[in-house]
Amino acid sequence: MKAFVAAIRSALPEAVLDNEQLASEYEGWSAAKIYAKTGIRSRRIAARDECASDLAFRAAQTLIADERLDPASVDFLLYCTQTPDYILPTTACVLQHRLGLPVSCGALDFNLGCSGYIYGLGLAKALIESGQALTLLLLTADTYSKLLNPADKSVRTLFGDGATATLIVAREQETLVGPFVYGTDGAGAENLIVPTGGRRRPVVAQAELLPDDSGNARTVNDLYMNGAEIFNFTLRTVPTAVEQLLVKAGIAQEAVDLFVFHQANSFMLDHLRRKLRIPAAKFVIAMEQVGNTVSSSIPIALQQALEQGQLTPGALVMLVGFGVGYSWGATLIRWPATSSF
Amino acid sequence: MRALEGQLELPEGTLNGNQALADVEGWDSLAAVLFIALADEQVGVIVSGDQIAKSKTLDDLLSLLGDKLTPERPRSTS
Repeated sequence: MKAFVAAIRSALPEAVLDNEQLASEYEGWSAAKIYAKTGIRSRRIAARDECASDLAFRAAQTLIADERLDPASVDFLLYCTQTPDYILPTTACVLQHRLGLPVSCGALDFNLGCSGYIYGLGLAKALIESGQALTLLLLTADTYSKLLNPADKSVRTLFGDGATATLIVAREQETLVGPFVYGTDGAGAENLIVPTGGRRRPVVAQAELLPDDSGNARTVNDLYMNGAEIFNFTLRTVPTAVEQLLVKAGIAQEAVDLFVFHQANSFMLDHLRRKLRIPAAKFVIAMEQVGNTVSSSIPIALQQALEQGQLTPGALVMLVGFGVGYSWGATLIRWPATSSF
Repeated sequence: MRALEGQLELPEGTLNGNQALADVEGWDSLAAVLFIALADEQVGVIVSGDQIAKSKTLDDLLSLLGDKLTPERPRSTS
């Protein structure tokens, strides 16, 4: 049996944070400048009482309804998040019950950011092709907005909340997912981090607001991103991962019909595209209305490319995720000739 | 240096090598990212964020590009 990506759906929170609102908060910044620097016009922000798992639940429900999927047939649930409901229990267990999936269903969370979708596909393929699962839901969701300090425009202009649900099923047919290239470099852990809140360092009550040289400020309880180091990491890693994957798959770059990279920011994506000499028509940029949605960015981009006709039946698509960890991964998927399940 | 002026949207001739980065209008974390892109695209050098953070002047910054600069290269002060 082979793993087959049958359908993708997404769910976004209602509230919109647009560049006009951000520009009104930050002196010297205009909506046009924010767009020029990020390629993002607006982001969706989760409500105060809305968890990432609430968004994941909605995405999964939409997928189940649209695909007329019998929840009883789902035998594995993978949930990728860095904003879980609890320290414990596992949010995937809570979602299994909420979604009405059978108690015979396996479920686990995995904590990855921008590389998460690639790892999810890798786990799904392994579970299905080793005979451990037949019908698998891969959910991704995060609410990074809750990790950001309002005084830190470097991250507030980029990140948006969102969730996706991908249905992966076993089919007797040629390989449609893989091969995979993975990578990890924990030396970069401190460059994209929420320092407190885990067991290493508890949340600091009334933490001091610390300004940096660029006019941004945050506390130790907030997400910190060293943009320059992350960009450096990306330039060192992504082109190599692309090359390794092409070699592993035994194909030329020209054989790839579409490239979907983690939607980090459009400046970085444009730079990578030119560096790798990928034609613009073969390269998906889908972040204008949602921003950087972390592990949901690749499936959201796939869904948008499908809706806009950029992703066509039978296309060979390269997916590359990279970011927090550092962690990265790349794979190829052959988009099914018939997308209905 | 002229390319950097372009990236920072400064008029040509604004920047000179001895200038402290802290005094350059528009120099911030985003500009550091633009500089990394420029260095990669024009001279094929991937500069680290830490190296940029340690640079005090424009000359320090340009010295990170090693000997791969175009004839415009100013003398390094570091």
